[in-house]
Amino acid sequence: MEYAPAKFHKSARKLAPAGETFTYSPENQRRFDEIVTRYPPDQRKSAILYALYLAQNQNGGHLTAAAMDHVAEQIRCTSAEVEDVVSYYTMFFTKPVGKYVLNVCRTLSCALLGAERVTEELCAKLGIKPGETDASGTFTLLEVECLGACDRAPVVMVNDDWHERLSPEQAGKFIDDIRAGGAAAFTGCHLHKEKK
Amino acid sequence: METVTLTIDGRPVTVEKGRTVLQAAIEAGISVPYYCYHPGISIDGSCRVCIVKIEKMPKLQTSCSTVCTEGMVVSTRDAETVAARAGVFEFLLVNHPLDCPVCDKGGECPLQDFSYTFGPADSRMDFPRRTFDGEGVKADVDFGPTLMLNRNRCILCTRCVRFMKEIDTDAQIGVVDRGCGSEIATFQEHGVHSLLSGNLMDVCPVGAITTRDYRFKSRPWDNPTVVDTTCTLCSKGCSTSAWLKAKPEWAKGSQLIRMTPRFNPDVNGYWMCDIGRFNYHWIESETRLRRPMIRTAAGLEKVGWHDAEPRLRDKIQEAAAADPDAVRFIVSAHAATEELFVLKQMVQGLLGADGLKSVSMAWTRSEKPQPPNAKFKIPAANAPNVNGARDLGFMVGQGNDGPAPDLAELKAAVEAGRVKAVYVLDPGPDGSIGDLSWLVEARRTGKLSLLAVQGVVMTPHAAAADVVLPGYAFVEKDALFTNDQGQVQSASLAIVAPAEAREDCLILAGLARALGLDIAYQTSDEVRRALGGAMPGTAYAGAGTVVFTRPVPAASWLQASNPSERWKWDFMFQDLPPVKGHNVQLEGLAREGAGPNYIPLRQVDK
Repeated sequence: MEYAPAKFHKSARKLAPAGETFTYSPENQRRFDEIVTRYPPDQRKSAILYALYLAQNQNGGHLTAAAMDHVAEQIRCTSAEVEDVVSYYTMFFTKPVGKYVLNVCRTLSCALLGAERVTEELCAKLGIKPGETDASGTFTLLEVECLGACDRAPVVMVNDDWHERLSPEQAGKFIDDIRAGGAAAFTGCHLHKEKK
Repeated sequence: METVTLTIDGRPVTVEKGRTVLQAAIEAGISVPYYCYHPGISIDGSCRVCIVKIEKMPKLQTSCSTVCTEGMVVSTRDAETVAARAGVFEFLLVNHPLDCPVCDKGGECPLQDFSYTFGPADSRMDFPRRTFDGEGVKADVDFGPTLMLNRNRCILCTRCVRFMKEIDTDAQIGVVDRGCGSEIATFQEHGVHSLLSGNLMDVCPVGAITTRDYRFKSRPWDNPTVVDTTCTLCSKGCSTSAWLKAKPEWAKGSQLIRMTPRFNPDVNGYWMCDIGRFNYHWIESETRLRRPMIRTAAGLEKVGWHDAEPRLRDKIQEAAAADPDAVRFIVSAHAATEELFVLKQMVQGLLGADGLKSVSMAWTRSEKPQPPNAKFKIPAANAPNVNGARDLGFMVGQGNDGPAPDLAELKAAVEAGRVKAVYVLDPGPDGSIGDLSWLVEARRTGKLSLLAVQGVVMTPHAAAADVVLPGYAFVEKDALFTNDQGQVQSASLAIVAPAEAREDCLILAGLARALGLDIAYQTSDEVRRALGGAMPGTAYAGAGTVVFTRPVPAASWLQASNPSERWKWDFMFQDLPPVKGHNVQLEGLAREGAGPNYIPLRQVDK
C-alpha cells in the first residue's frame, strides 16, 4: 500500500463555521433542564454529550461555533472544553452533513464480508468519496470502526438506526429504498425486534 | 509527619506519606525524566517517560502517578526500564520537528536534555514528519496577544491545558481531535486571553508555547546570569528572576532580557502575572532620565549634579522662607523603604515631628480582569510599598485595600496659592504615580514656583519640571519593599543604571545635606542599618543585615526558581561557555557579595 503522508500527516482539522445565533428551542431547553437533573449538581458537565446532541439535531445535523458557545453556557464550562468533546467524538459534525449519514463499518468481520465493496458501491451510486456529502445534500458517507454487530455483517449505521447484512449487490438498491421510503428502508437491529 | 520508606535504585528513601515515586526520586536526587508532571498543577500521567520498574507490579509504572508505599522497591536503571523509556522517547520525537537551532527553547529544553540522556541515539522514522499545516488551521500561529504556538513541536503533555483549568480557572485551551491528530487549540483559534498567559511559556516543556516578547531575542547561552529579585509592579511582590543578556564582547555590559517567576510558596507559588513579566521595557527605554536637568529659557537643559542640587536648594529655601508649609512632597508608593526612611528623616528634620504631613503618598489602583476563582490573584493596588509607607508613619489612608489616594487637599492648596513648591518622587514607570496633569497645569500658570521631579522616565510632569533628578529603577538598586501581606522583601540590583543617575535614597540624602541637615548616608546599606536601628522589634529590625542576591550562574538560579524541578540543574546549563565581558560592572560585586544563598528578610528576622 502506498504510504500517504498527505493524508495522514496533515492536520485534518477545519474550524467549525461561526453559524448564526443559537439558542435551544423551548422544547430542547426543557429536555436539557430535565437531563441535567440526572447528574449531581457539581458534575453538571456530565450532561455535555446529551446537550450537544440536542444542539446538533436542532441545528440540522451539525454543530456551529455559536451552538458550542450556547452549550458551554448551558453546561457552565468554557467553549474550548465543549470543542474538546465535539472534536473527540466522531458522531458530532462541525460541517453540514446530509439528511442521512451512512456509517459503513470497516472493521474485521464486516471487512471480511465485503464492507469495502459496500463502500465502493455506495460511492459509485452517490458519486462521492467517503467523508463527503452528495450534491443533493441527502447522503453523507463515512467509514467507521466496529459498530458491534459482527454477527450481522456487513452493517451500516444510518443516523441513529441500523441496517444489517447489507451486501455489496444490494447497496445501490438500499439508496433507492431510502430515497423512496426513508427510515422504513432500514432493517433495524435484530435484537430489538426479537425482544418485541 | 507520617513517612514511608522505599528503595529506589538500591537507596533507601524516606518521604512524606502520599508523595509519588517521582517526587521521592526528585527529592532524593535520582534522575527520572518527566514532562507532564509539574509540581504546581495536577498529575496527569500522559507523557509516559517517567516509567520505572516497581517490584511485584506486573508492568512498568508511571512514577508520577504511583504513590509511595512502605517497602516499595523501585528501579529506574534496569535494562527493561531503560529500553522502554528509550522507546517512549523515540515516539516523542517521531513527529517533533527538531528545529532546535531556530527554537526559542533550544538550550533550556527538557525535550533536548532528556532525549540526549535517556533517548535512543537515532530515530528509525523514515517518513515525513506530521505537520499541522492543514486546511484552515496552521501549525505556527498566534496564541493570543502575548504568546505564539507551534503545534508541530508539541508533545501533548497538557500542562498548559491543566494550568488554564486549575490555576487560571478559565479553561481556554483544549486538546482538539484525537489520536495522532490531537493538537493543542483554543476555541475558534481565539488564542489565550489571560493575565497569567506568560506562565504557559514556563510550563511548556518544549518550544511549543513561546512568548512574543522573548521570541528570537536571545538564547540561553547568551544570558548565562540571572538575579533573584522581587517584582514591584503591584502590591503582591512576586519573587522573580531578572535574566541578563550579555552584550557582544565589544559592547560590554548586559541588558535585562526577561523576567521569570521564582518559586516562593508564601507569595506567588510558581507563577507571576503578565504585567510583571512583560512590563520591564521602560527600565532600559529611550525615555529614561540619564542626567540631571534644570529649566532654562531654552527648556530643560542637561547639567551636572553640582549644578542641579544648589538650584533645587535655592528654590526650595525661597519657597519655604515665607511659609514652611508651602513646600510639599508627592511620593509614589513605588519608592523603596530606604527612600521613604530618608525622606522621613529629612521632612522631620526640616519641619519637626509632624513633618510627615507635608508628604502625600500616591499610587494607582485598577481591578484586573481575572476569572472570579483564579488561584493566582493579581491585587488591584499597582504599587509595591504602600505597607512600607504605612509602617514608617506616612499617611496611606486604607492602604492597599482602600481606594487610590486622591490628592484633592493638596490640589486645592496649590490652586489657592498656599503651596509654592512641589517635589515629586516617582521611581516607577510612567503613569504609576497617578494623574498629575493638574500639577503640570499649576506650574504652567505660575501658581507653583517650583516643580521638582525625581524619577526614572520622562513623564509629563518631569517634562514640565524646573529640576529633574534621575533615579534608579527597581532592578538597579538594592531596596526593600513591603508587600500586601506585610512581608518585607528585598529587590536586588541586577543591572547598572544609565549615565549619571543616582540611587534615590542618596539623592534625598544629598538634598537633605544641601538643606543643612546632618544626614550623611553614602550608601543604601547605611540607610538600611539606620532603618533597622530606628525600628527595633519590627519586621524592619533586620534591615541592616539583609542579604541581597548578586548575578548568579543560571544553574544556581534553577535551584532557587523551582526546587521540585531538580532535573533542570542536573541537566541544563552544564556546559555553557563563559561569556567574556558580560556584565563587567557587576562581576566585582558578585565576587564580594554573598553569592547565591538567598536569605529572605523574614528569615533573618526570626
